[in-house]
Amino acid sequence: MLTAKRMTVEDLASAYRVMMLSRRFDEWLGELNHRGTPVPHYHSGVGQEALMVAAVTPLRRTDQMIYTHRGYGHLLAKGISLREIALDLFMKAGGTNHGLGGVMHVNRPDLGVPGREGVFGGRFAIAAGLALAAKLDGRDEVTVCFYGEAAGARGNLYEALNMVVLWNLPVIYVAENNGWSFSSRTEWLYPEGRMSRVWRGFEIPVEVIDGNDAEEVFATVSRAVARARAGEGPSVIEALTYRLEPHIWRDKAAYQPPDEIASWRRRDPIARAARRLLELGMNQNEIDSIACWAEDEVERTIAAVEAAPDATWEDGRHQMEV
Amino acid sequence: MTSTRLTGREALNRVLASELAVNRRAVVMGETVRLAGSSGVLHGLYDRFGPSQVIETPVSENGIFGAALGLALAGFRPIVEIYSADFLLVVANEIIGDMCKWRQQQARPGPMPIVIRGCMGPNAKGGLGPEHSQSMEPYFHHAPGLVIVTPGTPRDMAGLLRASLRSPDPVLFFEHRRVYDLADEIPDDESFIIELGRAEVVREGKDVTLVAWGWMRSEAEIASSVLDAEGISVELIDPRTIAPMDHEAIRRSVARTAQLVVAEEAPRTGGVGAEVLARAVESAARPIRVARVSMPDAIHPYSASMERLFIPNANTIADAVRRLVSSARSAPPVLAR
Repeated sequence: MLTAKRMTVEDLASAYRVMMLSRRFDEWLGELNHRGTPVPHYHSGVGQEALMVAAVTPLRRTDQMIYTHRGYGHLLAKGISLREIALDLFMKAGGTNHGLGGVMHVNRPDLGVPGREGVFGGRFAIAAGLALAAKLDGRDEVTVCFYGEAAGARGNLYEALNMVVLWNLPVIYVAENNGWSFSSRTEWLYPEGRMSRVWRGFEIPVEVIDGNDAEEVFATVSRAVARARAGEGPSVIEALTYRLEPHIWRDKAAYQPPDEIASWRRRDPIARAARRLLELGMNQNEIDSIACWAEDEVERTIAAVEAAPDATWEDGRHQMEV
Repeated sequence: MTSTRLTGREALNRVLASELAVNRRAVVMGETVRLAGSSGVLHGLYDRFGPSQVIETPVSENGIFGAALGLALAGFRPIVEIYSADFLLVVANEIIGDMCKWRQQQARPGPMPIVIRGCMGPNAKGGLGPEHSQSMEPYFHHAPGLVIVTPGTPRDMAGLLRASLRSPDPVLFFEHRRVYDLADEIPDDESFIIELGRAEVVREGKDVTLVAWGWMRSEAEIASSVLDAEGISVELIDPRTIAPMDHEAIRRSVARTAQLVVAEEAPRTGGVGAEVLARAVESAARPIRVARVSMPDAIHPYSASMERLFIPNANTIADAVRRLVSSARSAPPVLAR
């Protein structure tokens, strides 16, 4: 049995910085949206930062990561800059895809982010293929594949699951159970609202964890990664969290009960991580300064990105000449 | 240069074996590939190259094709066998939605070196039913970014498969069940290759341009000989690839003949033939006359005798050419532009 790797105070502080950057970026985009500035294909990750960030922190640069379209914490944690993400989001020149894929297709293969499929569900098998490549090459790299309620409800999951267990591949599937699939409750789509039940028949590790606890996310993913690197095969982690903001920029989310949102706000992963940092010996000034840094970083980045030239068809066409 | 007489099946097997031998990251994957694949093309490859290069998969097309994409993103060259080309509809999203779009959406203009190959069309006996007989090229030729190959001879199977294995783009390689059993002299030279996107003028002629691919090429060759004996000189063109389509070769021929017939095994509506005729009419400098021979807009009956009434053959192709040539004397031509 592999023992869980614990987060040091430095680990948690560095994850906290990325979580805070993700939060401030989301808040800024939400504000722009509220003021009527188009933020195309924006999906808020507010409330899911511990899951997004602490699940990526245990990875190496060469490990592969398939992210969901909700929130930018996964991308930031894997080393993609806020500037690149924002350039892609606003279809500006100089991002990762020159207006051809927007924020839905941010990618940096050199950082283990090959991109994102278009229709939910394809990712399970793409991740299997990435993991199969590592295994055939004899590399000890792993693939982490995040997914939401929509992708996990498709039959593709079963086919990939059967294959990764059959071939004992180094892959970790992380279900982001945030309570909602657009306007549908997870309970309406999965028995008892649990996305990971379907995996249990395969006798691979399947853990349901508190996705708002950065330390628990980190420890669980670290254990799964160590297992995969050691050639012991796939695992599944279902992280319970909550989508605090509407599904998408044009959604008013009147279907989300205010008291439910309020109760989950009390479990905010960022406030929780801050309390743990205090317990671990960090002082309040240091913690506050991280929030200030993130605020500045987002403000400067957005200003620079707003001033950047739009991606043009010429940029895009150049990229399409394969 | 030496050559060996091989069936289509043997020719494909030889090209695949030579690719697996030189490229450790070339992997064959699919259902029943450990034995020989669905049509015997892969015979002996598992014994020779083992499970790391010949990967037997469950009957999980979405899984297989998604994994192939993942392998390609990681620098491998997956060669995926679809059990029957008809089943590609199950993975239309993996092919059209992901493999074709990936490089453009991600703006990563590197290779997407996936070859998807599989058997297609009715065999000589027929009666395989509408799930194992369809011509699949019309469904996919609408998708940007895909190469579609439809070899009509064993020699073309060998040369075009080798070219497909050098292609930076995803390739659909359709092996007609009746072409498997033909035999050709195939060059032994392992660099023998037929460029993708280049039509072959199978037979030169001056009266009518006839375009046919896959099994229809063989039917059209017979029709051309019969028509020649009747005094109608046919120029037969096999485009060999549906995408890219060598419209220029067809345009050059039609510039001389001003008459064009396309013989296609698929149903008529929205077919590849429609696109070939449209391009020819658009690009012609003078009025031309056009016609199509195709399957009707219907499904393949399980009854082989009923099916035979549906599939174009040498007789129906020759009839279409005769009708076009004789009506040329009595009706005004289609106006270009």
